[in-house]
Amino acid sequence: MANLYLLDKAIGQNALPIAAQDKGAKVVLIQDGVYLETEPLRAAGAEVFAIGQDVQKRGIAGSLPSYVKVIDYGQLIDLVFANKVINFS
Amino acid sequence: MAQRHVLFTFSHDPYGSIWYTEGLRAVVGVTSGIDEHSVDVVYLGDGVNFLRKNVDRTDSNKYLGTLSKLGYGLKAEKESLDAKGLRASDLADGVEIVPRSGVLELIQKADLTIDF
Repeated sequence: MANLYLLDKAIGQNALPIAAQDKGAKVVLIQDGVYLETEPLRAAGAEVFAIGQDVQKRGIAGSLPSYVKVIDYGQLIDLVFANKVINFS
Repeated sequence: MAQRHVLFTFSHDPYGSIWYTEGLRAVVGVTSGIDEHSVDVVYLGDGVNFLRKNVDRTDSNKYLGTLSKLGYGLKAEKESLDAKGLRASDLADGVEIVPRSGVLELIQKADLTIDF
């Protein structure tokens, strides 16, 4: 069971550097969290996801880094049940 | 439910919203009741502004007093303090400063986390 960080933008910014230190962390960008600069997470080897609905609404699908996996809310629920949730959303 | 260890993180500035004081009320609530869960309380980002020495804590003192009697203090992430140029001498008495790696240890130790 990995730590699953849920990051919205405002307070998720605080958790992002913590997640980058957390070996094996999974990170889900949710709501305005899809705007976050996630390169430190990629560099640390974290698995990064973004909620597709939140990406589409903000029109940024084309600018998401290729390492970010777009998921739907059903897949988010699967992640929530399979991991330890650290909520910053 | 058995006793759990709960990490509370505070990331919002004091005032302008009720996060800072409602969160402390929630911490007290979690430590009360039949299970008497244990807690850690850590301030991150803008949340550390609540820990400044001269902040008016009139609406939070009863919660802080209860937590103190239970042996719980407040922690601040060092990197968040550094980003605002805050030193230990700028903070209220009793605030423990922990490095980011220490916050990660608190996350690992917790059965669940709750953010305010």
